[in-house]
Amino acid sequence: METEQFNIRMPKGLVQDLDIISKLLKVNKSEWVKTKLAEEVHEEKNKLLMELSTLYANGMISKEKIEKLVGKEVADEMESIKVIAQKSVKHGLEYGKKLRKLHS
Amino acid sequence: MAKNSENYILDTSTLISLESINILEQVLKLFSITTTNSVIKELEEFAKHDDKYGKIAKNILKLKNKFTIESCGIRESIKYIESTDNELYNLALKKELPLVTDETKFVHHTRDKIEVYFTTVFLVILTETKYFTKKEALNKLEELRNIRNWRDNIIYLITKNQLDKL
Repeated sequence: METEQFNIRMPKGLVQDLDIISKLLKVNKSEWVKTKLAEEVHEEKNKLLMELSTLYANGMISKEKIEKLVGKEVADEMESIKVIAQKSVKHGLEYGKKLRKLHS
Repeated sequence: MAKNSENYILDTSTLISLESINILEQVLKLFSITTTNSVIKELEEFAKHDDKYGKIAKNILKLKNKFTIESCGIRESIKYIESTDNELYNLALKKELPLVTDETKFVHHTRDKIEVYFTTVFLVILTETKYFTKKEALNKLEELRNIRNWRDNIIYLITKNQLDKL
């Protein structure tokens, strides 16, 4: 996995707490922080993207604005989900009507 | 209502979604459903566990004889999706059939190449044909939302908005 150096200064008390965790769990301090940070970042990212997609689904934000905020890839994917969700409903309605006629 | 000629290709996510809200059997009665051996293998893996998805997978596998199960060579590969999904994509291309999935990445990378829908398509069809009342359909959508952890995602909001109008 490609990595990038990311330095942060932490309060001494927090480092001491990390030492305790590391000793009790018998895990590497950096690895433990990396795992916890990854979990938190994943959850926060998903939560924020969910909020953004809710605004998008409700027509409160444009695709262009999303693209400016989080990039083209995410904006394109959100557009795909919206288009196919609408298409699924449309096809469902049309096909359902056809079936009803066929069996009435 | 008798079976129709309409044929859909279903992936693992859709089979799980449909069975989780107890409408897979009804969908199998109404439509011809095709899936792949790789999907069956994925379900067999799920079925090894005793959790929620394991139980759902076991129920789906009990209905296995009601699907058409095929294997398909991969002639055209999309690099952003897994091999199981690439097989389903190639099957949809070869057979010119619509594919139903709840995998958003899969939908995003195939929507310009094949006809693709989310599972909610069946919920709308069954409501429009009066198999469900509007209230029952909205309850099913809530169940699906919970099991899929959709929260207020785009699929949920758009489908709810439409079902509310019926």
